[in-house]
Amino acid sequence: MNARSSAADRTRPTLLDGAVVLFIVVAAVALFIALKPAGGSVLTATVTVDGQVIAQYDLTHLTEPETLEVSDVPYPLVIRAEPGRIRVEKSSCPDNDCVHIGWISSAGGQIICLPNRLIISVTGSSESTVDGVTG
Amino acid sequence: MQFDIQRLTRCAVLTALALALSVAEGLVPLTILFPLPGLRLGLANLVTVYALCRLSGRDALLILSARCLLGALVGGNLTALAFSLAGGLLAFLAMWALLHAPGLSLFGVCIAGAAAHNTGQILAAMAVLGSSAALAYLPPLLLSSLATGTATGAASILLIRRLPASGLMRHL
Repeated sequence: MNARSSAADRTRPTLLDGAVVLFIVVAAVALFIALKPAGGSVLTATVTVDGQVIAQYDLTHLTEPETLEVSDVPYPLVIRAEPGRIRVEKSSCPDNDCVHIGWISSAGGQIICLPNRLIISVTGSSESTVDGVTG
Repeated sequence: MQFDIQRLTRCAVLTALALALSVAEGLVPLTILFPLPGLRLGLANLVTVYALCRLSGRDALLILSARCLLGALVGGNLTALAFSLAGGLLAFLAMWALLHAPGLSLFGVCIAGAAAHNTGQILAAMAVLGSSAALAYLPPLLLSSLATGTATGAASILLIRRLPASGLMRHL
């Protein structure tokens, strides 16, 4: 037998364990700050599948709810955009994580569906980038 | 590599245990309480820690690879395999390195393993999506790994103490 280490014999946390924790916290906070989304009063939701933008909604200036059926993917799903927010309403996948996340309504918010390689992301800007729906 | 029936049996039993633990964990998903994609306790990691401490790095790696392959066969798909392999291998590397570093306990080792597992999964997600969008999930996942790593760390300390290598076959 080999690969025995002193760590296996300890039963209490050590100071170096604290260093590991500190390192992870610092990494998480640094990453969080680095990824902090740009603010702005105008929210735009972008739906991409496999890197291709299939729809874009100006959530701030949306007046009527819009429904988008994405059927050309492994697990077809239905996306609903309302003024100021967007969500996955229905999905045919077994997990339904995307549905459970619910509405996203702020800049930096996103819903990712890995099996479908689909990303819904909300970005903020000071000016409107789209007039309506495309795709 | 010498053919050793005892070693083979031990690895097989531990692989089955790791597989059973990850299936059992999937029955009670933490994501219902905290809707954070990729969040899980990481019970199967206990087996990797045990194998690293009481068997060898090579056995631990074999058990891990077999668990990921069988897990993908049983319940998943190729994407799931990429995820569990990326997470599992990074966690293995982190824990292997830290077990050889002096001054740590299994708490630190398991927390680092959990954080490395989450990092690996996010890297796999970025590769699958071809976008860095998934990176936004990493900070909350890293913070959650402090809790899940502490839990599996405490469990692994109990496990290692109660189950020494020499007694493994008798216990089984």
